[in-house]
Amino acid sequence: MAQRIAVDPITRIEGHLRIEARLDGGKIAEAWSSSTAFRGIETILKGRDPRDAHHFTQRFCGVCTTVHSMASIRAVEDALKIQIPDNARLIRNLIMGIQNVQDHVIHFYHLHALDWVDIVSALKADPAKTAQIAQSISDWPNSSPEYFQQVRDRIAAFAGTGRLGPFQNAYWGHPAYKLPPEVNLIGVAHYLEALEWQKDVIRIHAILGSKNPHPQTFLVGGMAIPVDPDSQNALNADKIALIRKLLRKARAFVEQVYIPDLLAVAPAYLDWAGIGGGTGNYLSYGDFPMDNSPGTGSLFFPRGIIMGKDLANVQPMDEKKISEYVTHSWYSYSKGDNAGLHPYDGETSHKYTGPRPPYEFLDTDGKYSWVKSPRYLDQPMEVGPLARVLVAYGKGVPEVKAAVDFVLGKLGAPASALFSTLGRTAARGVDCLVLAQKNEQWLDQLANNMGRGIYETFNKEKWDPSTWPREAQGFGYHEAPRGALGHWIRIEHGQIANYQAVVPSTWNAGPRDPKGQPGPYEAALVGTPIADPQKPLEILRTIHSFDPCLACAVHVLDGTGTEIVKVRAL
Amino acid sequence: MLEIRYTWEWPVRITHWVNVLCMILLAITGVYIGNPFMTASETSQYIMGWMRFLHFSFAYLFLVSVASRILWMFIGNHHASWRAFFPWLTEDGRRNFIKMFRYYTFTGKQISYEVGHNPVAATAYLGIFCLFLFQIVSGFTLYGQMAPGGFWNSLTGWLLTLIGSQWLRLAHHGVMWLLAGFFINHVYSGWLMDVKERNGTMSGIFSGYRFIEPKDL
Amino acid sequence: MSSDPILNLAAIPEEILTRVEARGISRRDFIKFCTMTTAALALPVTMVGKVAAAVADARVPVIWVEYQSCSGDSEAFLRANQPTAAELILDLISLEYAEVVMAAAGHQAEAAKKQAMEKYQGKYILVVEGSVPSGADGAYCTIGGESALEGCRKLVKNAAATICVGTCASFGGIPAAAPNPTGALSVMEVVPGAPIVNLPGCPVNAENLTATIVHVLTFGKLPATDGLGRPKFAYGKRIHDNCERRSHFDAGQYAQSFGDPGHRQGHCLYQLGCKGPETFHNCPTIRYNEGTSWPIMSGHGCIGCSEPGFWDTMSPFYRRLPKVPGFGIEDTADKIGIGLAAATAVAFGLHGVASCFRKHDAMEEDKVVKED
Repeated sequence: MAQRIAVDPITRIEGHLRIEARLDGGKIAEAWSSSTAFRGIETILKGRDPRDAHHFTQRFCGVCTTVHSMASIRAVEDALKIQIPDNARLIRNLIMGIQNVQDHVIHFYHLHALDWVDIVSALKADPAKTAQIAQSISDWPNSSPEYFQQVRDRIAAFAGTGRLGPFQNAYWGHPAYKLPPEVNLIGVAHYLEALEWQKDVIRIHAILGSKNPHPQTFLVGGMAIPVDPDSQNALNADKIALIRKLLRKARAFVEQVYIPDLLAVAPAYLDWAGIGGGTGNYLSYGDFPMDNSPGTGSLFFPRGIIMGKDLANVQPMDEKKISEYVTHSWYSYSKGDNAGLHPYDGETSHKYTGPRPPYEFLDTDGKYSWVKSPRYLDQPMEVGPLARVLVAYGKGVPEVKAAVDFVLGKLGAPASALFSTLGRTAARGVDCLVLAQKNEQWLDQLANNMGRGIYETFNKEKWDPSTWPREAQGFGYHEAPRGALGHWIRIEHGQIANYQAVVPSTWNAGPRDPKGQPGPYEAALVGTPIADPQKPLEILRTIHSFDPCLACAVHVLDGTGTEIVKVRAL
Repeated sequence: MLEIRYTWEWPVRITHWVNVLCMILLAITGVYIGNPFMTASETSQYIMGWMRFLHFSFAYLFLVSVASRILWMFIGNHHASWRAFFPWLTEDGRRNFIKMFRYYTFTGKQISYEVGHNPVAATAYLGIFCLFLFQIVSGFTLYGQMAPGGFWNSLTGWLLTLIGSQWLRLAHHGVMWLLAGFFINHVYSGWLMDVKERNGTMSGIFSGYRFIEPKDL
Repeated sequence: MSSDPILNLAAIPEEILTRVEARGISRRDFIKFCTMTTAALALPVTMVGKVAAAVADARVPVIWVEYQSCSGDSEAFLRANQPTAAELILDLISLEYAEVVMAAAGHQAEAAKKQAMEKYQGKYILVVEGSVPSGADGAYCTIGGESALEGCRKLVKNAAATICVGTCASFGGIPAAAPNPTGALSVMEVVPGAPIVNLPGCPVNAENLTATIVHVLTFGKLPATDGLGRPKFAYGKRIHDNCERRSHFDAGQYAQSFGDPGHRQGHCLYQLGCKGPETFHNCPTIRYNEGTSWPIMSGHGCIGCSEPGFWDTMSPFYRRLPKVPGFGIEDTADKIGIGLAAATAVAFGLHGVASCFRKHDAMEEDKVVKED
């Protein structure tokens, strides 16, 4: 029977997201993704000092903090043709690298795991058996029966108070949870361990950039953290040693906990290798420059696009071919709402036409989201770790190829399994593993530079606005944890004339375009089975596999839009 | 017959010269505090410390000087009186204001002959006193931030909430430049009147005496 | 009594420690937490027992809502160290609703919020992250189809106290920066007069949040605040007055450019636009991420993120003074001032030259006697 259900808000994401969908025969027939919050930062940026822009843009997001600073300073550097010193490149790589690693682990354990791991079932686990399983998948030291007994007791004591706090009202006991209690207990134990781990390893951001979230060290032209082995107020041998210790701690956890857990959980959910594929088009801007040469040839994760799941044919990416549509978004364009605008000419004039709150449903035939619809050559593109890994795999980057083949081999799955909800989650693990192993290399290079007396971290040549051209424009790219991030800036008379950011979740969460092509979330949800419309856990699985970064809510509608079944807490 | 008239009483002269001294010192130290143009080579030096010490010390002196002058407005002779700063309250004042304004703009030939301030000058001084008060209030408000709940902060803290310290700081800085502009204007006008009135405008602020032909008044 | 000096000082009744231990919390960790929190609250060590009693029993219900936010404050909360987020969530508070970490979603999540609001009416602590947009009838931010404006009013009115985390909830923050396209408001503006404590910062320092919660638990009231609703224990002094580089400021040693020798040697960042002298916050003493660092320590000036309207008043961030309204980015107050002074000098200079050539305007012509 066709049904209409609603989930609002989607939690364990950044921001406010709403998804409406139509159910038919126990499967999603159509879905709509809507962001329900708007802050207008692009509007606020106009007329300000371009050197300040990164402070503002960093506040786009506090979960994937740093990424918008990175894209912003690169956009200004591109516009003003600034070459950054080698140390600045390495410090940026380190900040981005640990950001991706930490963010992926948080996503897996704290945002995504509860879609696959049933905490309540973990209470039934046998600690001895759990320890046996844990020891068989990894040599991580925290795996004794006593340890798991302690975790189970702690959770039981917590549950015994009858006040479940953030764990109440969830879909515990849902038939789509397939893991044995012991694996669930491992998941819970590592949920808690990861909570400790993440705050520790991200101290690298504090060392290099004062704090996390929102490090304060980025500069147009370099980085503010000074490098000087002979100073106690700069990056010296002592701090390098601390960073190294934390990088090793990060790597150990990824290699001995995250990846083994991923490989232990995945076999129970292999059916999800055939669900949630979506558009089949992937875009990666590439990132992590391996040297200071101009152009994008030196990027560790290469730049490129894949159309129609054709892994063998990675095509070059040209940012000129990107345009944004607002046909179904709460904005208006001066050229008409069906036009597509390149971000340099982008307009952010908001015009809310949706229902007046409080409302039950959005009018998905009209405008229904605060997210615009970016398209590449008019095609919707998926971005994220999956896109990044696929492009690198297609281009034969050895580290990525080895990691992908290792994971696929362990799961006994073909490469085509990557185009799915499970593939997305696995690709995130691959991305994390490769970077966790790569980070220390950049630290070595930095230490090597310091040893050779190279201390420069900032190029002040173009710092003063009097050295700037009257007009300039630039594109800043970054491969954020959640995917391809682009900032476009136009500078006139030393001020920001226009600023547009196309963020990963814009690519992924965008609504339909003028041709009616659904965005990646909307496409990926189609065909997803829903066992219980009252508890649409499956929607969360696919949506969370993208690691959304906005504030939304999810609705599922029936075929005729008449019969409304509201999803309620039981 | 020329008369020698005792015009500027000693409190007027003293506060005038104390104000001059304070303004020069406050401007120099203030510019340094806003933009430290000298850099110390050793941590044992105390350049900014001294600049701030001087700035705050002379700020107190300036406060006392301006307050004394305002008090004298109610005690001193009619040239020092607060009434002298509102020349356009009387018909004579208004007429002389226009006359003086026309002289300055080359549209009139005659200077309005006065014992004390001419009406245009008096109006400017009224504005200057307002700027003085603004500098004192904004300055001590910013100063008070170092001791929340202290004397200055309890007295002026509401301005920080209402306007914000950065706008106050910008205005404090901007008014300094307005006062610098006034300084140039004031010295020039003193010279001009000394030359044209020939009644001891310049020496008057040292000695207090001016030379007046009563029948020209 | 134990021989451990910390245990002796902290004088927490054995009975409380046993109870805490039964919940799987290490007794030493618990004592350390209580002692550090007491210190953070600037309380005498004799208060440790009271703090311990308050936190051991309470598990006070907390509802954490996000409006126009970036979740940066939620993330900061996850980085909390004394106690950690896990300890907070499992042992010290009962987090009834928090979008970033909660397992439930959709209507189940909304129901949890509603249940908590009703069940603990007048007893729960509300934590608000993000500003509240008032434009377009509240459509700039809706959750579960309800506007943030409506939701916020209800939650604040039914709370025992509201803690605004971050500058957006406290003062409007970035969405309220000029020209404030969405009409973003702070919680104080949405519900005037409600018991609210502001913990600005971008993001909030998790240690200040924990200390505030414990203060409420211990004394049953909100901490004393300054004129902007900020607790005095955390915002009672300027960064400048506690800064580790203050000696360089007083000496007159300044970094003139990022990466120059002065910058590398830790000289004062005043000339690079540091806003420490106008910002009230305890960053220099408690720092971030387990006390690892804070902006000035890592070579970047303070941007004044705990002050109201800082996006407009503290920017341009690399300059001392704000942009002069009506002038271009390049025109600093000093450039304009020098221009003004120069223009005055030129104008009066010309006036003087013209006046010198003026005839028959001097007074007392008849009395002038020429000397030989």
